Amino acid sequence: MSSETSTESQPSFEPWQLFTLAGLIGATIAVFMARGESPAAVIMISITIFAAAGVGIAALRTFLPLTQKTPSDGARIVGGRTRAALEREKTLLLRSIKELEFDRAMGKVSEKDFVEMSGRLRARAARLMRQLDAGAGYRNEIEREIAKRIGDVGVIAGSTKQDPAYAAERQSPDDVGRVLLSRPATTCASCNTSNDPDARFCKHCGHSLEARP
Amino acid sequence: MSSLGYYLLLAAFVVGAYATAMSVAGARRRSRPLIESGIGAFYLLAAIMTAASSVIVYAFLTGDYSIRYVQRYSDSAQPLFYKLTSYWGGLDGSIMFWVFLLSLFGSAAIYINRERHRELIPYIVAIISTVEMFFLLLMIVHNNPFETYLTENPTDGAGLNPLLQNFYMVIHPPTMYLGFVGLTIPYAFGMAALITGYLDDSWLRAVRRWTMVAWLFLSIGLGLGMIWAYEELGWGGYWMWDPVENAGLLPWFTATAFLHSVMVQERRGMLRMWNVSLVILTFFLTLFGTFMTRSGIVQSVHSFGQDPVLSRMFTIFMVSMLIFSFGFVIYRMPLLRARNELDSWLSREAAFLFNNWILLFCAGFVLFATMFPTLSEAVTGERITVGPPFFNQWMIPIGLAMLVLTGIGPLLAWRKSTLINLRDQFVFPILCGLLVGGTTVALGVRIWSSGLCFAFSGFVIGTITQEFWRGARVRQHTTGTDLLTALIGLVGRNKRRYGGYIIHVAIVLLFLGFAGSGFKLEESALLTPGQEARIGSYVIRHNSLSVTDDGRKQMITADMTVLRDGVELTKMYPARWFFRKHEDQPTTEVAIRRTFAEDLYIVMPQFDASQQSANVEITVNPLVNWVWLGFGLLAFGTLIALLPETAFAFAVGRVPDAAKTATASLLLLAITLPAAVQAQDGAPGRTNKTVMQRDIEGKVICMCGSVGCVRSPLNNCPMRPACHGYDAQTAQLQKFLNEGKGQDDILTAFVKEYGTAVLAIPQGRFNSLSWVLPYGLAGLGLLLLVATARRWSTQPSVGAAGGVDTLDPALDARLDDELRDLD
Repeated sequence: MSSETSTESQPSFEPWQLFTLAGLIGATIAVFMARGESPAAVIMISITIFAAAGVGIAALRTFLPLTQKTPSDGARIVGGRTRAALEREKTLLLRSIKELEFDRAMGKVSEKDFVEMSGRLRARAARLMRQLDAGAGYRNEIEREIAKRIGDVGVIAGSTKQDPAYAAERQSPDDVGRVLLSRPATTCASCNTSNDPDARFCKHCGHSLEARP
Repeated sequence: MSSLGYYLLLAAFVVGAYATAMSVAGARRRSRPLIESGIGAFYLLAAIMTAASSVIVYAFLTGDYSIRYVQRYSDSAQPLFYKLTSYWGGLDGSIMFWVFLLSLFGSAAIYINRERHRELIPYIVAIISTVEMFFLLLMIVHNNPFETYLTENPTDGAGLNPLLQNFYMVIHPPTMYLGFVGLTIPYAFGMAALITGYLDDSWLRAVRRWTMVAWLFLSIGLGLGMIWAYEELGWGGYWMWDPVENAGLLPWFTATAFLHSVMVQERRGMLRMWNVSLVILTFFLTLFGTFMTRSGIVQSVHSFGQDPVLSRMFTIFMVSMLIFSFGFVIYRMPLLRARNELDSWLSREAAFLFNNWILLFCAGFVLFATMFPTLSEAVTGERITVGPPFFNQWMIPIGLAMLVLTGIGPLLAWRKSTLINLRDQFVFPILCGLLVGGTTVALGVRIWSSGLCFAFSGFVIGTITQEFWRGARVRQHTTGTDLLTALIGLVGRNKRRYGGYIIHVAIVLLFLGFAGSGFKLEESALLTPGQEARIGSYVIRHNSLSVTDDGRKQMITADMTVLRDGVELTKMYPARWFFRKHEDQPTTEVAIRRTFAEDLYIVMPQFDASQQSANVEITVNPLVNWVWLGFGLLAFGTLIALLPETAFAFAVGRVPDAAKTATASLLLLAITLPAAVQAQDGAPGRTNKTVMQRDIEGKVICMCGSVGCVRSPLNNCPMRPACHGYDAQTAQLQKFLNEGKGQDDILTAFVKEYGTAVLAIPQGRFNSLSWVLPYGLAGLGLLLLVATARRWSTQPSVGAAGGVDTLDPALDARLDDELRDLD
């Protein structure tokens, strides 16, 4: 909930924990103050205090996102089809195919209809599988690129790129990736500009990049 | 306390407005923070409603009688259980309870779907918040549950009506509300899909479980209401076609239709506009039901009273909602129009179409007949009554048609059934039906509707048995296991289908129970100690009358023995309870002896303590327990259908799904477990009514007009044991009969004295519209269905072959692997 929206790492209190604690303390105080009343009334008071704590947590959940400086996440919302959703749809399609096979066995679908209907479903499933594969592939490539570029320049921050995903990609059978990986970024000797790995001339000063130390 | 509550409601309203605005703005601007804030506000609304609910319950517990609502529905002597549940006992509290439930349901729906349907979430939040805002507005400006007495604060309350002080009455409203409120969620999803244009199947899949859960609660709620009427009111029946009963039934019909037609959309992509319209209609009917109960436009045992301001606010909201919803349907028409094909009338798709047609026929008929008195009064100026005999008469054919369709549907193939197919599938069920039908005729049953009902029931049971048997055999073949494992695996693999079949069996049981009412026996007698009354094969002997008191109520109990063929079967103790402060509203404690074959039902409307005599009304209700069993089986079947995909695979299901169904099942267990037979077990001289007398009593409405009068026929009024307004008319009827008058003369005489409203079945040319119009509309609907289907079947099958592109063999092989692993 709130942890999703907070950008800085909080080793100490989460806001909702604060409210829960406040609720517990408040309930204890209220119950103590109302100790003369019937048990049911005391329980209700506690519940009311907890409800108030819940109100606090929810209020936080309401107003905190407005204070966050996260950029518009338009692409994610419009696209909507996260990987999980695609996987789920594929599973449902597979189940539909299985159900169709069962219906055929029960005599509820003729052979001709089965071939046509299951063919359609299988095509959809195959399309989804291709989408899932492609999505995975591009994602890996993008991550590799980023890791490569940040890995070179990122010495400034004092952290070397030890991304496990990056390490894992080195074992990927993807030939293109390996080719990219094997060519580190080139830095121009004269002006120290970082250039693309397949560049032959520096984009800043034009110095030839072929001869490398 | 009261101002805190009121301000909480105000805050909830403001938060609701904020949630709506933020969500819509966020969705339009594609701004994540705004949407997240809107969702947060939605949760906040739920938290505020929880706080407000606990405030009012606290007020009940501590007896804060300065609050009108608390004073009206509680008192210091009331047991704790009823103090807690008085929350929803009255109108204001019930509205707040509605908002509370809706906010909880909505929060659950949003939370569960927050990742899967991101594009729909903002609009779902907006729609549900708007509905909540309406009900909150109702409370804020008109029906404030926290309203206080301005001057003198009473020191004690009036106490809850004794009729409501029993277990069923406590459980029945929340269950009904859970059903009604639950149906708002599919509506919100459907509208969100319409607004965003994401009109594929994803919104259907999201709402499938919600609709089933809501439908389940609605069914249970109706069942509980029936059980209450049967056990507590004491008129020997369980359904009287009361307008508010009908209002609860209407969304049930449309929700059932929706649950079936979504299957057609999932399989064949057809009926998309129809599904969206159905979900809008269902939601509208839930609003309409609430409106009918609270506005006072119909007279009913459920009515909270007349309230024109409330009526106006509801009407405005309902009309706006209809315009908004159907406006979007029209706007999205291009997206909803998919290519549809109906290859044959003998297909599963066609069966589903018929199913929808008939369910909507039911809904349309009930709605029209319920509103007809109001309509007729507006047109002709004459007040008439559309009573139970009318409904029973005209609903029977429709009900029978629905029953037979239940058996036919599963037997038909998708797309097209060939003749060989038909022969193969239909032989066994038809044989079953004929067998049962023949047996009933042989046993001497001559009522055509009951006979057909039994025959059709046999047919349906034959169908379902065949489905289970053949399915298990198929599975046995494919998996190579024994039959029992195959059966369990079968149900586990196809929970929705086989859960649905179990539900169909439950429906058959319900129909069997209904059919039994055609063989009802009734007798009334005035018995002094030692005297006996006879009914059917039973002899009931009255022994004594006792008067006891337990501090809260005075109890007058009759001690009766039941004998059959001279052998004592059991003792039964019908009673009347007079509660303190409500002595004018005594309750009738019914004595019931239950067996699978029939119920022996004894009620004591009047007594004379000095003479120890009891005036009893005895009823024998054949097969009525099959109705309750049917409801139980219905709940079981729905739970099976609701189980998460991975249940029975002995793997841990996804938490949200499992949690949802676990909660639903726990709730149901909590509700139904204590509902084990509660009525006591366990009271002539003579009055033997002639057949004609009984017949006329069924046709004449009691016009006593007492408080809470529900305008029922003389023999069937649920208020009967308590209210004696029918005495005058009964005496009059007796006089006419003694004079030797014929039925028509008697009816005419009654009409002359009381007006046309005294007839249970409306007579006259205009009034025959009451059944002509619905049946006519249904006939028109059928023609429209046929015409549309023909248009669909003559369209060239576009894109049917286009979907089969040549699959990459590697991909194909992978697909086969995954399919194999799936099982």
